[in-house]
Amino acid sequence: MTTLFLVVAVAEVAVALPLLLRMAVGPTVGDRAVALNAFSAQATLSLLLFSAFASRTIYLDVALWTSSFSYLGTLVWARLLERELL
Amino acid sequence: MVGLLCAVGLFFSLSGAVGVWRMPDLYTRIQASTKTITLGALPVLVALVVGTGVLTPYTSRAVLVAFLLLVLNPAASHAVARASYKTGTPQWKGAVAHEPDREQPS
Repeated sequence: MTTLFLVVAVAEVAVALPLLLRMAVGPTVGDRAVALNAFSAQATLSLLLFSAFASRTIYLDVALWTSSFSYLGTLVWARLLERELL
Repeated sequence: MVGLLCAVGLFFSLSGAVGVWRMPDLYTRIQASTKTITLGALPVLVALVVGTGVLTPYTSRAVLVAFLLLVLNPAASHAVARASYKTGTPQWKGAVAHEPDREQPS
């Protein structure tokens, strides 16, 4: 069971590699912001599953903070775009 | 059961990532990302709850993360789409609706 959690935690990051490519290539800032948002969701899931694998509940709080504050990063980029500050 | 739920979540996450990489313009990429990211996250969180037991710290954090993803992810994607549309990010050439002069409620 715990090995399955580790496998899925690694696979969650592995399937998000196209998002990293889009973040590197992305022609506009919006593309990069969308890819960053999606990748942070994947990273949150990976952290949750890794904490279940390692039986360390302290990693759960890292995942919780990641999921609640990655959204602020995307929103800040959107506001900057909307005010035409970029 | 846990393996099946994880497989479903991984499949939707992979399809979302491939959609973000392959779609032709920003708006279709947002559409691919939002739908499949939320749909790919929830089965994995349910698998975590099923695999670790209900009355554990994992369950409470999984429920919190699911709530945050369901509320904040569409809001962030909407903000990015709105800002990009206002600043005139180019659309795919096959797009059928583009009304830049239309009065938008702010």
